[in-house]
Amino acid sequence: MSDIVRYGFVLRTSARQQWAYRAEIVARAIQMVLFMGVFMALWSTAFAVSGQGELAGYTLVEMVWYLAMTETITLSSSRVFLEISEAVKAGDVAYTLARPVSYPFFQVANSLGNSAPRFLLNLLAATVVVGLGMRQTAGSPAGLAAFLATAALALLLDALIAVLIGLLAFWLEEVSPAFWIYQKLLFTIGGLFLPLEMFPEWLQRVASWLPFQFISYVPARAFVHFELKAVLQAVAGQAFYIAALSALVVLVWRQARRRLVVHGG
Amino acid sequence: MKTARLVWGYLRHNLMSAMAYRGAFLLQVFGMILNDAMLLFFWWLLFTRLPTLRGWTLTQVITLYGIVAFGFGAATVVCGNAFLVARIIVRGDLDYYLALPADPLVHLLVSRMSLPSWGDLVFGLLVFLIAAPGRWSSLPLFLLLGLLVGLIFVAFSVLVGSLAFWVGNADNLASQAINAMLTFSLYPVEIFPGAVQWLLYTLIPAALVGSLPAGLLSDFSWHRLAILVAFTAGIVLAARAVFRWGLRRYESGNLVTVRG
Repeated sequence: MSDIVRYGFVLRTSARQQWAYRAEIVARAIQMVLFMGVFMALWSTAFAVSGQGELAGYTLVEMVWYLAMTETITLSSSRVFLEISEAVKAGDVAYTLARPVSYPFFQVANSLGNSAPRFLLNLLAATVVVGLGMRQTAGSPAGLAAFLATAALALLLDALIAVLIGLLAFWLEEVSPAFWIYQKLLFTIGGLFLPLEMFPEWLQRVASWLPFQFISYVPARAFVHFELKAVLQAVAGQAFYIAALSALVVLVWRQARRRLVVHGG
Repeated sequence: MKTARLVWGYLRHNLMSAMAYRGAFLLQVFGMILNDAMLLFFWWLLFTRLPTLRGWTLTQVITLYGIVAFGFGAATVVCGNAFLVARIIVRGDLDYYLALPADPLVHLLVSRMSLPSWGDLVFGLLVFLIAAPGRWSSLPLFLLLGLLVGLIFVAFSVLVGSLAFWVGNADNLASQAINAMLTFSLYPVEIFPGAVQWLLYTLIPAALVGSLPAGLLSDFSWHRLAILVAFTAGIVLAARAVFRWGLRRYESGNLVTVRG
């Protein structure tokens, strides 16, 4: 069986498993309603106070739809780093060595499988809430297609980073702080709360070199301001970081296995 | 007095346990301080484009973050189980607390300490001391307001967690309610439409742990402080009464747990 088929099977199984916990998925959708309610109120006030029709090239409607898309991706992300760090601490990771798949890439597929049903429900919830709240849509069919393609790659990037955070458990007693920092990097220079156009120029330049913008800013911008050239460049950037982080996962896993000590049991 | 000794004893014991893994403890505390600080980035950028937001300046928003973080941190450092009340009831874990002579609600709340919350506590105090004008003279007021905010957070969590006595698995519902309170508390209440503002002063009292105490720090009024004190007393008494009322319906679980 080829690797792709194996990982595809893991992904499908995790997605079906996740679908069984619909209450949790619905709870996340409620969170989406809450966040979008706050954002709609905040940005309506901010645009009213500024007296401008556009802020950094975004109208109020575009800004809210932009945030709906970034939140759709972020709330779909699975916290697979918790599972990995628990397995490392408890020693369960040792049993996975005998499996015919690489443990970190098994977890990447697992994370994507967990994210897929969440993503669909969050997208639906965001569309309903923002559609009802703003009574106007943004984006275009081409923008939606670009969003779906770049969001899929974004979730893969996010899964690779989550696996790297989880593997830190081989060196750190507690990996949650690394996740909080990653999450806040997404909030800030990832463009989750604000499009990068709102940033000072020097910060935009810094953000453009880092992988975080490819997880939230790039897909959301592709939806509200679709430009084929920009989307293709973004996909190339995502592909580059996916390759680089996959290589890093392989390296880190190799180092981590050397630190693995199994005490009977 | 007996309750104060119990709270102090657990606080000391939990902190000493945390110190056994000092590296992990400090990592969580500093991680949380950095985490909280990065949230302010959004407001900093927003206020570079707007002078004020419905009367709120960047300094006032930072003070708002300070008071919410300090109160929330204090609540979960001392009462680390506050957000887990529903789960404890549903799993039948209350048995342990009922079998001992201490007040079961207080005992249940204080028996765990949230370690990262030390980071919230320190962050709240630091940003207040760095950002707020007249910070040293208003420090006692900040600490008093932090205490009231912490009590409201704990009482609200007990109220929504106690729903588990009646509706069964209320864990998710309670988490959502607490999450909503925390999310709304970090925004100036004036940005929301009238009906939502009303909700934030009553059903989900986010304005009473965020905008109202932050407003008192920049523009003090005895009248509003009295409202906050009365609300805190009311919600604490209500949480206590509802928990006791629910306790009469509690059916023991058959889960056998070992406590160290």
